[in-house]
Amino acid sequence: MADMTKQGIGRLLAKQGILIAFAIFMIGFALANQRFIAIDNISGVIRSSAILGVMALGVTFVVIGGNFDLSVGSMMSLSTIVVLDLHDKIGPALAIPAMFALTLALGAFIGFLVGYMKLNSLIVTLGMLSAIHGLTLTWSGGKNMDIADKAGTWFAVFGQGRVLGVPVPILIFAGLAIILGIVLSRTAFGRKVYAVGGNGQAATFSGIPRARIVFLTYVLSSFCVAVAGLLQASRSLGSQNTVGQGMELQVLAAVILGGASLMGGSGTIFKTVIGVLILGFIQNGLLLMGLAFYVQYVVTWGIIILAVWLDVAAKRGRLWSPTA
Amino acid sequence: MKVTLKVALTCTTALFATAAAAETMTIGITQNNVGVDSYQTTYEQAFIAAAEANPDVEVVVLDAGGDVARQIAQMEDLIQQEVDAIIIWPTNGEAVIPAVRKAHSAGIPVVVTNSNIAEQGFDFVASFSGPDNVTQGARAAEIMCDKFKDMGIESEARVVQISGQPGYTTAIERQKGFDDRLPEVCPDVTLVETQPGDWNREKSQQVMEAFLVKYDDIDGVYAGDDNMGVGALNAAKAAGREGIIFVGATNFAVGYDAMAAGEYWGSIYQSPVDDAEAALKTAIDILNGEELPFLNYFDTPKITQDNMDEFTKPVF
Repeated sequence: MADMTKQGIGRLLAKQGILIAFAIFMIGFALANQRFIAIDNISGVIRSSAILGVMALGVTFVVIGGNFDLSVGSMMSLSTIVVLDLHDKIGPALAIPAMFALTLALGAFIGFLVGYMKLNSLIVTLGMLSAIHGLTLTWSGGKNMDIADKAGTWFAVFGQGRVLGVPVPILIFAGLAIILGIVLSRTAFGRKVYAVGGNGQAATFSGIPRARIVFLTYVLSSFCVAVAGLLQASRSLGSQNTVGQGMELQVLAAVILGGASLMGGSGTIFKTVIGVLILGFIQNGLLLMGLAFYVQYVVTWGIIILAVWLDVAAKRGRLWSPTA
Repeated sequence: MKVTLKVALTCTTALFATAAAAETMTIGITQNNVGVDSYQTTYEQAFIAAAEANPDVEVVVLDAGGDVARQIAQMEDLIQQEVDAIIIWPTNGEAVIPAVRKAHSAGIPVVVTNSNIAEQGFDFVASFSGPDNVTQGARAAEIMCDKFKDMGIESEARVVQISGQPGYTTAIERQKGFDDRLPEVCPDVTLVETQPGDWNREKSQQVMEAFLVKYDDIDGVYAGDDNMGVGALNAAKAAGREGIIFVGATNFAVGYDAMAAGEYWGSIYQSPVDDAEAALKTAIDILNGEELPFLNYFDTPKITQDNMDEFTKPVF
């Protein structure tokens, strides 16, 4: 009897280790400061995390497909700066599609290099990280980019608007997560992404066009980056050139925290969303606790390690393993 | 290419000039990273313009592109060329010290501009020309305190601070200036919390969102620069919290606009043109044998909604 219960809990844990870790942190922070669970705070954190989250959705596809994408941070800077700059020059209705076209073109270029040319994705996207940052600086001349008429533009709706009381960034993040979650888990394309990342050679032998699938994961990732850039630009209606810097690592951290394997072939959209929320709530929770900021870096690291450990422990059914 | 040519030309002219009239002085400058932001770009233009306006001065203008190794090589080039003085905008306050020391040993006075090198290198530096960040922080405290007095809330106001990137000298000095001065001018104002915004508008907005959740009553926000100040302002606007007094530092165009819109109270005006002209003047004064303070600050005045008409909108 006790054994069965233990097994039942074990199975549940094995599936949802990261979710349980998430619940533990939420309870911990809520006990430390009750304002943490105020609706306003929770909606604020999710709204802030939406930008990182949208990017993480795209990178989840890339990582499951067996590749890295370290270029998303500087690509997001570029989309943000470009859409802000064009906003005042050609109007928002044209600026948004122009920015999407540019970002998708960059994603297609990276996808071509990694997918069809079979170049190492770490090298390609690490290179693109600086190259795109250079493009951004060239475009802006190093200047901050600001929309002149901040009060009179409908462009603010994506980052600051609300529908039925829910902030638009949350709706976009949630909508995109649901669509991409279905694409990944319920469509032929999604299954091919897993196959390519799990065992590329086997996938090729089964007739899956590996190059095209990898190419498409990067295009998808750049689409998500464009959405993130739109949210970012619309949220603050102005930006520094450094806006997305370093976000590639946070994105990757969220995806890996969600349990996607860096070797490819595993991971889900749902868990990536949890990974994103954990990172967002840690930052917010530590701020609300008012810890000295030097300590926050260390504590953040500790919490991430704890989450990963709980996830791994749940998968193997015990907290500690002497063998593997 | 253009720079190389300029270097070659200056060398020859310098040689002849020295022979003809002992008055002409050659000053070399190695900058941090021109083009990375408008401040540095404007600085370079102003520096060249100031040098061209002075017939007694020849300049060799170099840029390290943010690369320490290149800056050290440029220092050595300038020493080889036997320029009369070197101005350096350090790419890194520690790593350039040996090169500064080498110039010092070669008898060439070195002026550090904008951001100082680390203290162990001070012996090899003739003078530092730049903004006084402690004073900037102190002045921001005065701006905020004066405004609280106008509003009649100096006995109860509560302030939060969003500082620059942890570990950066500028961030530390501005915070120190603010922290020390505020209790002197407004002893009853409470500084409730300080968190870093990393010179980043978006990060600052997130920090401010958390502050707004945590504290029902915030009367003032001091941010280590206007970019962060405007990030905090955005957070307050989104949360519908009005009447908060925002004070920043390094007045950026975006802060200037927010002041014009009546949403942002004040800042500290730091002009790259003043910065560049002060550096050149410091080098010339040293070559003319004038006595200068080691820390030769240029003035960075207070700017608020009340006096902003006296200042042109920053280009960065």
